[in-house]
Amino acid sequence: MRRFLIRLAALSEKETLHMLRDPQVVYLALGLPLVLVLLFGYAVSFDVEDVEIAVVDRDHSAESRGFIQRLDESDAFDIVVALETEAEVEPLLRRDEVKAALVIPRGFAKSLLRGEETRLQLMMDGADGATARIALAYAAAIGQAETEDRMADAIGGIEPPVQARVRTWFNPRMESAQFVVPGLVAVILAVLAVLLSALTVAREWERGSMEQLFATPVDRLSVVLGKMLPYVALGLLQFVLVLTLGAWLFDVPVRGNFVVLVVAVTLFLVCVLGQGLFISMVTKSQQVATQIGAVSAILPSLILSGFLFPIENMPPLLQMIARVVPARYLIVTMRAVLLQGRGFEQVWPSLLSLVAIGAVIVGVTTMKFERRLD
Amino acid sequence: MSAVVADALERSFGEVRALDGLSFEVAAGELYGLVGPDGAGKTTSLRILAGVMKPDAGAAYVLGRDPMSTDEVVRSSIGYMPQQYSLYGDLSVEENLSFFSKMFCLDRATYRERRERLLEITRLGRFTDRRADALSGGMYKKLALACSLLSRPQVLILDEPTNGVDPVSRRELWALLFELVEEGMAVIVSTAYMDEAERCHRVGLIHDGRLHVEGDPTALLADFREGHGDDVTFEDLFLSVVREAA
Repeated sequence: MRRFLIRLAALSEKETLHMLRDPQVVYLALGLPLVLVLLFGYAVSFDVEDVEIAVVDRDHSAESRGFIQRLDESDAFDIVVALETEAEVEPLLRRDEVKAALVIPRGFAKSLLRGEETRLQLMMDGADGATARIALAYAAAIGQAETEDRMADAIGGIEPPVQARVRTWFNPRMESAQFVVPGLVAVILAVLAVLLSALTVAREWERGSMEQLFATPVDRLSVVLGKMLPYVALGLLQFVLVLTLGAWLFDVPVRGNFVVLVVAVTLFLVCVLGQGLFISMVTKSQQVATQIGAVSAILPSLILSGFLFPIENMPPLLQMIARVVPARYLIVTMRAVLLQGRGFEQVWPSLLSLVAIGAVIVGVTTMKFERRLD
Repeated sequence: MSAVVADALERSFGEVRALDGLSFEVAAGELYGLVGPDGAGKTTSLRILAGVMKPDAGAAYVLGRDPMSTDEVVRSSIGYMPQQYSLYGDLSVEENLSFFSKMFCLDRATYRERRERLLEITRLGRFTDRRADALSGGMYKKLALACSLLSRPQVLILDEPTNGVDPVSRRELWALLFELVEEGMAVIVSTAYMDEAERCHRVGLIHDGRLHVEGDPTALLADFREGHGDDVTFEDLFLSVVREAA
């Protein structure tokens, strides 16, 4: 055991020296997170704001003007033009001058006053399905609020006994960055860890140092773990960097236990570093390892992790594959801890999954690592 | 008992038959030269004896044990210096030595003592801070030799140690090998230089993965001269063996 630790420490120290003396690694390790955070934080947005809308007010009543004002005051819509007839709407939609149009029919105010059912027509450009869906939900919510206010007025200032109101917790303004940054941590760590670790073993094969290493009594597990440890440290540094940027630029909160996050990130790093080392050991070439590493890191952590697309909506086969994607468990944990303020009691199943995946990857990598030349 | 035994070693790489039943033995305190043209199987046989490659058939023994063993005693008893550059180029002389000493788990005092001695005999003492990549060919090889001697091995396996090394460093390296042999070490060295082959206690001429001629180089040359006149050199002997084999 003592010999194992001496060798492990020496291998880690050597790997750290390689890392520090290779400026590319430093640039990649600290530059890429910065670029990705800025790119994803600012460019990838699921927020719907200022949807250009045309209004056709055929009623010209105080009530219809009130409703239009309510619409205009919301952040979601931006009234760009008021039209006289419905026929004018279609050309505007076709020319992409507006994304939506609201038609208030004649007799709107009268129906309201009589307490009859009143219908408004909202036309939406469905080409951008995601935006359309969210904008529709906003419009429905505005309509709902209007209805509730009218009901309250009708029964004499008393609030209606049952009200349906949607309230989003933990990320009340539904800001994308708060949702994206935790997921981004997983993507950045996965990409860098797989790439850097895939390079390290392949480099030893290419440079011939593996042959000299095999001539010593070093055991396989020491080599695997010795290569991993410095990159775990680097990964934690990147994690802190991304989180700091997220908090500073996008007000991403850290509500829960920071220790849980560190544990989750460390376990996750063991999984993805193991993945990189495995690729490197099988391919033995830096170039091939980089390519396979990039694809195998980016695709699952971006698509099968629940970062961009909900896993529940995927076909059963993909859902099964997603069960072994470590990024999924890190993202769940990150969101739970950062946004919901959860702790070990709630996220332990995810941590346990990471332990299991990591143990399998490290085990397989160590077994696959043969102490001999082909 | 022979320190090193290669017993009918066979090894192929795809269609290429690198070793075809190669056998030889080396005793303790003997300097054995493995001589052959490029592609004769020198590197493959040395890799198998050093325990970094597995033979397809046949067996290798170092001090009676399988050299592939990861046993500390076995590994520490074999010093191996590969032909290709195989140290860490971005680490300094000192860092390389220290790293390999830790792979053999030498304690600090032992390491310090051996380091002093190795730096002295390799004359690398002034260059301990220099990165391995920045060393000249000769100095690099000396550092590789120093690293392979850290565990005080009983068997030293050197694959073309003087390839790309200037004449002065070559002479120094060989002087060092004789010192080690005198201390009782079994040394196997592959070489393409005939003058080096002649300095070995025994040589094995190999071609196409087989041993063709083996013996004391002086005696071999004397025998060869009987049939070919006194002007022939060891190189002529070598070329004639290669021609006959082909």
